Amino acid sequence: MSNYIPTIGVEVHVELKTKTKIFSPSINGYGQMANSLTNVVDLGYPGTLPTLNKEVFNLAIKAATVLNCKIRREMHFDRKNYFYPDNPKNYQITQARTPIGYDGYVEIEVDGKTKKIEIEEMHIEEDTCKSTHRGTKTLLDFNRAGVPLIEIVTKPCISSSTEAKLYLEKLKELLYYCDISDCKMEEGSMRADANVSIRKSEKDPFGTKVEIKNIGSISNVGVSIEKEISRQEKLLENGEAFKEQTRRYDDKLGDTVLMRVKETGNDYRYFPEPDIPFIYITDEMIENVKSTIPMLPNERVKKYIEKGIPKVNAEKLIQNRMLSDYLNSILDSNINFKIAANLLLGDISAYLNKEETVLNKTTLTTERFIDLVNLMDNETLTSKNLKDILNKVMESNDSIENIIKESGVQNITDDSAIKETVKKIINENPKSVQDYKEGHDRAVKFLMGQIMKETKGSVNPKMAMDILIQELNI
Amino acid sequence: MRYLNKDIKTIHELLKNKTIKPIDLVNEAIERIENSTQNAYITLNKEEARKKAIELEGKEVDNILFGLPIAVKDNIITKDLLTTCGSHMLDNFIPIYDATIVEKIKDKNMIIIGKTNMDEFAMGSSSRTSYFGAPRNPWNEEKISGGSSGGSASTIANRDVLFALGSDTGGSIRQPASYTGIVGMKPTYGRISRYGLVAFASSLDQIGPMTKNVYENALLLNAIVGEDEKDLTSARKPEEDFTRYIGKEINGMKIAVPNYLMSDIVSSEIKDSIKETIEMLKKEGAIVEYVDVKYLENAVTLYQIIAMGEASSNLARFDGIRFGHSCENPKDVEELYYETRREGFGDEVKRRIMVGSYLLSGENAKDYYNKALSIRDDMKKEFENTFKNYDLIIGPTTTTTAYNITDPMDDPLKSFMDDVLVIPVNMAGLPGLNIPVGFDKNHMPIGMQIIGNAFEEAKIYQLASFIENKLNLELNPNGGEE
Repeated sequence: MSNYIPTIGVEVHVELKTKTKIFSPSINGYGQMANSLTNVVDLGYPGTLPTLNKEVFNLAIKAATVLNCKIRREMHFDRKNYFYPDNPKNYQITQARTPIGYDGYVEIEVDGKTKKIEIEEMHIEEDTCKSTHRGTKTLLDFNRAGVPLIEIVTKPCISSSTEAKLYLEKLKELLYYCDISDCKMEEGSMRADANVSIRKSEKDPFGTKVEIKNIGSISNVGVSIEKEISRQEKLLENGEAFKEQTRRYDDKLGDTVLMRVKETGNDYRYFPEPDIPFIYITDEMIENVKSTIPMLPNERVKKYIEKGIPKVNAEKLIQNRMLSDYLNSILDSNINFKIAANLLLGDISAYLNKEETVLNKTTLTTERFIDLVNLMDNETLTSKNLKDILNKVMESNDSIENIIKESGVQNITDDSAIKETVKKIINENPKSVQDYKEGHDRAVKFLMGQIMKETKGSVNPKMAMDILIQELNI
Repeated sequence: MRYLNKDIKTIHELLKNKTIKPIDLVNEAIERIENSTQNAYITLNKEEARKKAIELEGKEVDNILFGLPIAVKDNIITKDLLTTCGSHMLDNFIPIYDATIVEKIKDKNMIIIGKTNMDEFAMGSSSRTSYFGAPRNPWNEEKISGGSSGGSASTIANRDVLFALGSDTGGSIRQPASYTGIVGMKPTYGRISRYGLVAFASSLDQIGPMTKNVYENALLLNAIVGEDEKDLTSARKPEEDFTRYIGKEINGMKIAVPNYLMSDIVSSEIKDSIKETIEMLKKEGAIVEYVDVKYLENAVTLYQIIAMGEASSNLARFDGIRFGHSCENPKDVEELYYETRREGFGDEVKRRIMVGSYLLSGENAKDYYNKALSIRDDMKKEFENTFKNYDLIIGPTTTTTAYNITDPMDDPLKSFMDDVLVIPVNMAGLPGLNIPVGFDKNHMPIGMQIIGNAFEEAKIYQLASFIENKLNLELNPNGGEE
């Protein structure tokens, strides 16, 4: 067991899902031909000036709200001055002194307990361009230059790699549900850096801080923090001091690699951006944005459980926002939600995956879905029979009842028909009947299995069971 | 036959009744500029200007600026036309877009005759920091024409064209206008879009018109103002005609003369000339009073901090990667930066980038830049208070008249002291204009500065045209040549 307490802070950059860039009218898009989404402003041409995309503020206010941040009402942008080929003006427009959000938190659940991950601040800035190194050459793609970002900085209040991962998952879920960002780490629309230090006791000052940059996935955040903690432990145990430094996670090595040692603090020569006047956020703007915030995942889970959906399924549902949104649109109806959830997570998901499609491209309107749930609830349709008609349910506009009728998969709910089958099975299995009479319950299970086999599953199991018991007890 | 020394109304009539065509004006200007020794231009737009003039022959003369050649300072971006900012850094830079102001003058069917010489990146007050050599003063070619808009001032004084655009960050329109005996207006900050003006100090830069008389100046201003969605610092204001008060009396006008502007920093010859003008104004019914305006003496210090701080950041984009000069065979990106900027920038630019970077470094930003911004606000308020009691503020534009091109350049502070009287106007974002009011003993022009409250350019023109009329000076340096 380790003798050290880790202290972790996480900085996350998230690309906002706006139509255009933050300071120019160029399209904000991913995966397009290099340098096709650029104009003279993005390229930092002499004489150009930034404009301001108002959509950015709406999304930033939304993010600040769901991250429980206080929202600043008067703010400006600053220039962060540094030379780097991916930085077209050789300064980045950011908010150093007046971040739009501050003093927020995100709640995570660790070992059944709720923990607040405190957010220091959240600010708006522009993305840099993308550089690709080819041998001795570096290629620059300015499509990303000027894409709006928010940077979310936690306090150093995270105490394990697990907490860090849970925080990132929660953050991703919130931002994704609110349409603030795609949050695709593999495409770079969400990027995480972790600051890690260790110390022996809570009473000690913080240890030397190491920053791990641009980690490509949430699980790698966990791995790199673990690796970094044990690296630092080894060094300290051997009595070796180390300097504040920046490392990166190398996926192939599965370990962190030194990028640079910080000799002195970086001097970014911040000063207020003179090309953009002060920005004022009004109550009205905040209220307008708040009204666009959908039901958040935590609340959804709560609602689902209230509606009788088991917790495990409720949690599964919110991992697929399309299914969750679909279910939310019929939350007011009076149906068996347990069945509805099972359908969405089971057969319907399987169909969508197989066909590589989405719900609103199928014929399964919410009205038809409600019919389907009700027909299963009253056992007109068994889940086994559903499989036979699923394609029609998803692809035709015919009513579910008609589909069931025409396919002949209607559940056998006719007493006399079931009775006949039950009698037949009893006559064919005298040994089991004997077992039953001697008190062996498993005989019933066996006989039920035979009945289902005989009817190819189309019999209403509850009715069959009732009749079986009735017949056995004669 | 000379036309470009005539006034706009005469030329406009000649164009309208087809006595002359735009091509006649373009040819006259080109011939004059090519035969001139003033070095007023970095690039002459010969072929395109002629092409445009011929094109215009098929068009109706629809506005008073139609078909007139205009000179554009070389820090204003012109599509397909070399834009150097007076620097080796951009001596191969052919832009792919037009500044908003260039679109506006093109909309008026004005013809860009060329790009005028200037201090490198507008940093200087004698245009001698230009990579292309200093322009000369038409009154005396041994003298500077001022700066940084020296080329524009020179070509207007020489009557090559009627119109020129300059830019003014710390006096760069008004000071050369004063040295060359022309009218130069720095409008209110935000009056004219800066989109396409290569930034020197973003919070101070402003484009403005330079002309031989007040009326033509106001006409050009009419054509180039307006809010621009591409410049967030441009101001939304109702449309107005800046010539509307021209010719009006000044009886009862209240004018303030800040004591600092008439202190010992100004040469006695200039003070005398200003005093004479003040006496004339009083006689004509204006109320002229000497007042104290606080913080004026701090303006140069504030300017150095703010302008150099901003410049160090604005000029960072010249790195040899996307445009302009790029050093040969750098071994890595660091060397690309160092060598490109070492080769591309001149000494004054380097000096200002270094000082500016220092001023923004670490704690310095708090001690210098932020403090300067706050004192600047106090200075603005002080001006506002003065304008509660006065319509306009006047004083000399410069402390001396134009000096010799060969005067030493080894005192970096000298260049700022040249602008000590004009800089406060930029700091406060106010409009200011130079109007010639006399000559020194060597017959070099003396200028008076008229400062207005924000967005009150029309009032400035009223007083300026009144003075122009009353004094009726011979302001053509070539005198009776024509």
